[in-house]
Amino acid sequence: MMNSTNDTNDTNASLELQRVFEELKSMFVGCEVSQIEPTQFKLIVPSDKMLGMLTYLKGIGYSHLSIITCVDWIDEKKFELVYILFNWSNGVTFLVSTFIDRDRPIFYTVKDMWPTAEYYERDVHEFFGVEFEGNENCKKPLMLELWDDLPPLRKDFDPLQYSKEHFPDRTYEKDPIHEARIIRGDIEGDIEGGEIDG
Amino acid sequence: MGEMKLFFGPNHPGLHGNFSVHMYVEGDTVIRARPVPGFLHRGFEKLMERRLWYQNLALIPRICVQEPDINEACYAMAIEKIAKVDVPERAQWIRMIVLELARIANHMWAFGGVGGPTGMYTSMYWSVSDRDKVLDLFEELSGARIYHMYIIPGGVRKDFPPHFEEKLVKLLDYIEGRLPEYETFVLKNRILHTRLRGIATIDTETCLKIGVTGIGLRATGVPYDIRKIAPYLFYDRVEFDVPTATEGDALARISLKPQEIKQSIRIIRQALEYMPSGPVNTKIADGNGLRIRVPKGMAYARVESTRGEYGYLVVSDGEEKPYRVAVRGASYPQGLYGVEHLMPGTRIDDVPIWLDTMGVCAPEIDR
Repeated sequence: MMNSTNDTNDTNASLELQRVFEELKSMFVGCEVSQIEPTQFKLIVPSDKMLGMLTYLKGIGYSHLSIITCVDWIDEKKFELVYILFNWSNGVTFLVSTFIDRDRPIFYTVKDMWPTAEYYERDVHEFFGVEFEGNENCKKPLMLELWDDLPPLRKDFDPLQYSKEHFPDRTYEKDPIHEARIIRGDIEGDIEGGEIDG
Repeated sequence: MGEMKLFFGPNHPGLHGNFSVHMYVEGDTVIRARPVPGFLHRGFEKLMERRLWYQNLALIPRICVQEPDINEACYAMAIEKIAKVDVPERAQWIRMIVLELARIANHMWAFGGVGGPTGMYTSMYWSVSDRDKVLDLFEELSGARIYHMYIIPGGVRKDFPPHFEEKLVKLLDYIEGRLPEYETFVLKNRILHTRLRGIATIDTETCLKIGVTGIGLRATGVPYDIRKIAPYLFYDRVEFDVPTATEGDALARISLKPQEIKQSIRIIRQALEYMPSGPVNTKIADGNGLRIRVPKGMAYARVESTRGEYGYLVVSDGEEKPYRVAVRGASYPQGLYGVEHLMPGTRIDDVPIWLDTMGVCAPEIDR
């Protein structure tokens, strides 16, 4: 009995979702829907229709914003902004994503819809360099203090090179391990005359 | 009286991890507060892009020190969603047991956490010693006390060691026996009531608006639990209740913790009863040994952690390393936006209680 009720609920839920997708496709031309799992879908929207889409989804119950994040598709010269929305009443997740130009990474803030977005946007700005128009605190540093290089989560930022430049290898006059071995009596030699092993 | 600027943290006994709040105070009341994260920023997300899929298992538990298993679970579940792999049934049940044990351990730790700022050190000694008993079991299961690296993409590392289930049942009995003592000593304690009632109050509307989840939201009377609303693993096959309170203050949040421990114990007992025997892991994708390749795709996996929604967005471009991993820390909304907008009005000596009971965890904000 319980199973049949569940099945009916599932069917109703999937019909409801189909209706939402049809509406989305008619309202936001160019919107692509793909299924990741039965309760998770990815929606790719043209960037000019993104804000309208987010407003619409928030209005129909997808009101919980889990995170705003970004993916750097360097070969395609695009940034993909991903907004993860969740509906508390049916447990469905939408990964709403849009592609913006990597050379001119400007988008619009959604902090009026989700106040916490202010911080997610600051996060994305700091790590990818995307600017969010309307978020006046966007350019304030959040995690990184006195950062003077490319935004670090961009694919063309090389952390190894950065750390070599900013934190050069230490050079020692004497090799401390060699000295320790002599003191411990493992090898014979003169501490004063120890040479660096390399 | 003039305004004065005080620093809370980044090193403070009332904080878990290094996180700073710049407090502008008048008298002993905070009138403005500014969160300053970044003291722990170790670039986990960047580092993950430079390591193999399996190598990351050693890295990710460290994002949340007090509750590391949720990281492993989210990472593994997201990869399985991309690769469309069915994990063996036994492995799913074992994961549930591990996650619930982690929940018990972390709630125990929270009793200690609230003991610090309120001066009830006995509760700290009790709960940390009881949490250690859970860690003993983790050590037996995985070889490690804190960072278990036990849940892997495709299942879990290995099956239960011999006699593990009997020891687990014994532990559950022990914790169940201890809970009334915690309730009498901690939750009915006058000090705790005086210090926590009406402190760090948050209402349902604010929680939903800014994205506070978990115990913070449930303490305002809303029974939203991801295990119920979007069940992962086999949470839809077990019976458990979602405890709620209505006050929305620090006391309500702490009082929910022993009730959640009871539900976790209930879940583990059912899991032990229902779990079949069989394999505990499966091959996730093509590849040689640990050098797997995950098919192209993007997926988000979330779990209900002790502090709320914890999730991983994993992006794969079909290579041997993740293309991008983004972590959604459970305390991001209340730790940043909440500190700035909700903390003002709090007294200076209640600030550690505010941060502690809101579940602000610096490493998952910095990641």
